[in-house]
Amino acid sequence: MFQSKNTTHRGLNIIIVGYGKVGSALIEQLSQEGHDITLIDTNSEKIQAATNLYDIMGITGNGASYSVQMEAGVEGADLLIAVTASDELNLLCCTIARRVADCAAIARVRTPDYSNEVGYLRDKLGLAMIINPELEAAKEASRILAMPTALEVNPFAHGQAEMINYKVPEGSILDGLAIMDLSRRVKCNILICAVEREKEVHIPSGTFTIQAGDVISFVASRKTARKFMQEIGVNTHKVKDTLIIGGGKASYYLANQLLLMGVNVKIIEINRKRCEELSILLPKAIIINGDGTDEELLSEEGIENVESFVPLTGIDEENIMLTLHAKQVSKAKIITKINRINFKNVIDQLDLGSLIYPRYITSEAIIAYVRAKKDSMDSNIETLYHLFDHRAEAIEFRVDEKSDVTNISLAELPLKKNLLIAFINRNGTIIIPSGNDCIKVGDTVMVVTTHTGFHDIRDILR
Amino acid sequence: MNRPIIRYILGQVLKIEGVLMLLPCLVALIYREKNGYYFLMTAFLCMALGFFMTIRKPKNNVFYLKEGCVTTTLSWAFLSFFGAIPFWACGEIPSLTDALFETVSGFTTTGASILNNVETLSHCSLFWRSFTHWIGGMGVLVFLLAVIPMTGGSHMNLMRAESPGPSVGKLVPKIKSTARILYLIYFGLTVIECILLLFGGMPLFDSLTTSFGTAGTGGFGIKNSSIGDYSPYIQWVVTIFMILFGVNFNAYYLILFRQFKKALCMEEVRYYLLVILTTIIIVCIDIRNCYDSMAEVIRHAAFQVGSIITTTGFSTTDFGIWPQTSKTILVMLMFIGACAGSTGGGIKVSRFVVLFKTVMKELDSYIHPKSIKKIKMDGKAVEHEVVRSINVYFITFVTVFTLSLLIISFNGHDLETNFTAVAATINNIGPGLSLVGPTQNFQFFSNLSKYVLIIDMLAGRLELFPLLIFFHPAVWQDLFKNKSGKKHSS
Repeated sequence: MFQSKNTTHRGLNIIIVGYGKVGSALIEQLSQEGHDITLIDTNSEKIQAATNLYDIMGITGNGASYSVQMEAGVEGADLLIAVTASDELNLLCCTIARRVADCAAIARVRTPDYSNEVGYLRDKLGLAMIINPELEAAKEASRILAMPTALEVNPFAHGQAEMINYKVPEGSILDGLAIMDLSRRVKCNILICAVEREKEVHIPSGTFTIQAGDVISFVASRKTARKFMQEIGVNTHKVKDTLIIGGGKASYYLANQLLLMGVNVKIIEINRKRCEELSILLPKAIIINGDGTDEELLSEEGIENVESFVPLTGIDEENIMLTLHAKQVSKAKIITKINRINFKNVIDQLDLGSLIYPRYITSEAIIAYVRAKKDSMDSNIETLYHLFDHRAEAIEFRVDEKSDVTNISLAELPLKKNLLIAFINRNGTIIIPSGNDCIKVGDTVMVVTTHTGFHDIRDILR
Repeated sequence: MNRPIIRYILGQVLKIEGVLMLLPCLVALIYREKNGYYFLMTAFLCMALGFFMTIRKPKNNVFYLKEGCVTTTLSWAFLSFFGAIPFWACGEIPSLTDALFETVSGFTTTGASILNNVETLSHCSLFWRSFTHWIGGMGVLVFLLAVIPMTGGSHMNLMRAESPGPSVGKLVPKIKSTARILYLIYFGLTVIECILLLFGGMPLFDSLTTSFGTAGTGGFGIKNSSIGDYSPYIQWVVTIFMILFGVNFNAYYLILFRQFKKALCMEEVRYYLLVILTTIIIVCIDIRNCYDSMAEVIRHAAFQVGSIITTTGFSTTDFGIWPQTSKTILVMLMFIGACAGSTGGGIKVSRFVVLFKTVMKELDSYIHPKSIKKIKMDGKAVEHEVVRSINVYFITFVTVFTLSLLIISFNGHDLETNFTAVAATINNIGPGLSLVGPTQNFQFFSNLSKYVLIIDMLAGRLELFPLLIFFHPAVWQDLFKNKSGKKHSS
């Protein structure tokens, strides 16, 4: 009882079960945001490593066991997140936590067998959220392949608005253009909300001049985004075919998405049995049984002429090597999946193009939920994305109640520096705001900022 | 080695010491004593030094176990040195070595004194002497963790280096909250004891200093007779609180959160209380003829046993004149010490429990050579690493002990004196037997011996390894050698 009173300033009590890739990404983020974290893992060495690295408490044991959960203080916990390797164990952990302590629970479930039943499972088991990193990664990849010139495409407002990262090439009409002149040159209602230049993230003002080599991040409604890309002379057609290396869960989800979009999919997988499974699951895809890292095989399967190439093996090094190879031999759009984040600096220097980090996709969703839970009085976080390596955040708030920010024109609001209101979604219409617009109750508002840790719309005020 | 963070933390420690040193100034103000100026000046010196050392915040906040150990050792060295300055400057302890000995003895909660007559000291010096016990009991770095905002999880390494016990756990996920809870319990118990002592008609100053001495399991008295001249009620209160402060603080945390069952099930606490009870009974039987009434026998036995096993070192009577069996038992108790996670010293009950279980396991393996058995504690398997480190700890302890004993023996005193002097300092107790008995002091040792004993006290308080690692050549190289190289680059 008194725990909930403390949550506003002391952070939530969160139990995380499983210290793997996603678990560690979550701990890193959540402990930075000041939550009390208890980690449960069966491997005591992993617990030792985690407690040395982060300010958390570790408990060795089976997270699905009642007594271990009690020891971890599930009774006073606000949230349990189960991210062990096994879907069934995750669901069991959450179910027990729900029954024993009635605390909110999030489970990772990634097997395709359950992916269609996620909604049903969540409702029946009373879970707060079921996350599927592989599916989310596949969705992100398919969004990029639908607009292959973009580095990254993130949907907001239930897909009505998009935030697109685009690298300005040499000779683009954007090169040397000040932001305030943009609307004169290009007749599109878009807003450039962040620019990365030489590892620095800028929230640009009107006088900011774009240069070639910048990565700009702009927001627009779905249609205008495409129109804008055409206006600046970029091809926006989705890719015609894709070559996927590796036949894991992410590959299955991606292939499924792409086939729905009408893209031809070819998957190279080394395990014959898995190939057979895939051919049953994906009758329209071409399944090749072979080693995806074999240069000969790649040539044979036409890597030179393919329009997009997605290495999705379980090994990061292989993915990176394949990307580098593909960059040399073809002009294909390449998306690289990075599972771990070791040697991030090295990876960034390689200029691999579009990168997908499944663990970040997952932790972003959970952190959005946690922040919303921390202070869900009069506003709610709908979506949250980390931009440019966690140096900026894009957060979509739902404004449920009257507060200091509502009904005042944006020009008069005392906003923090390095912050931008990217769009206002009012009853399904995306408004790219000018100084005269104001936030009203019932809107969802997207904020881009280099500050971190916002959990309430009022945080945008000075 | 991350030198900036070590410097930064040392600076913070000095600042805290400076602030804490204002308390004896306050005492001096109340009693109108001129010696207060020395404390005031030292306090400002500490604060100024600390201020300069913390002006620049280190960029890299990460530190590892070795940094934790080095920081801890250096912090304690700094603390002791600056804490000794007022004693020496005001002339109450003319020799710097002696002043250092007295302060180290205070901070490490040993309570071994070099003073022939403590009653001549000014009130502010007496207060500071006892207050060092209170600071050292829970640890100054733990205090630092509780008050200074620090980010990152690597600060666990500080706590690990300073807190007694084979494996240091957290009570709650955040180290800051853990440190705060510990200090809250510590503070609360001290206040309760102080109030109970006041009820017994003890003057406020006496009850404050006695409470500090008990809470830190230190043992500096403000009377030559220690607690001997106070009423039986006061002696009983002190006895009970000494034993309470020797209990693992986790138990109090569990009790605070109404988990009595779990608290009672803590194996270490049960063994600890069992040992106390048995030894009291044996000592009672042994000394039944030394005193007039049975009540007195029980009181003295309980007090001395409690005082020695918790490594406090108060005394109500000269146990040097007790029969041999009782003396031997007291010496044995010196080595056992209090529970891990308490303010007491010694080898710790939990280590002995594990050691004993290891021996039993070894015996079993002679009967069933292929049997596999994990050592358990509180119903949980003890990791092999922990068992190994406890074994190594024990061996290291014996080695350090023997070496110290050898060096001390050059002074030419009898073995009983030397043996108990080392035992009383390395286990942070205070009084030993014979020449260093409860009515005697450590004044007569040569300076070399005193420094050896100072090191023993620090080693005992920091549980050997943080201090020993400081003498490892690699650490020295890291700390000092490439300093010049760095200067060139910057």
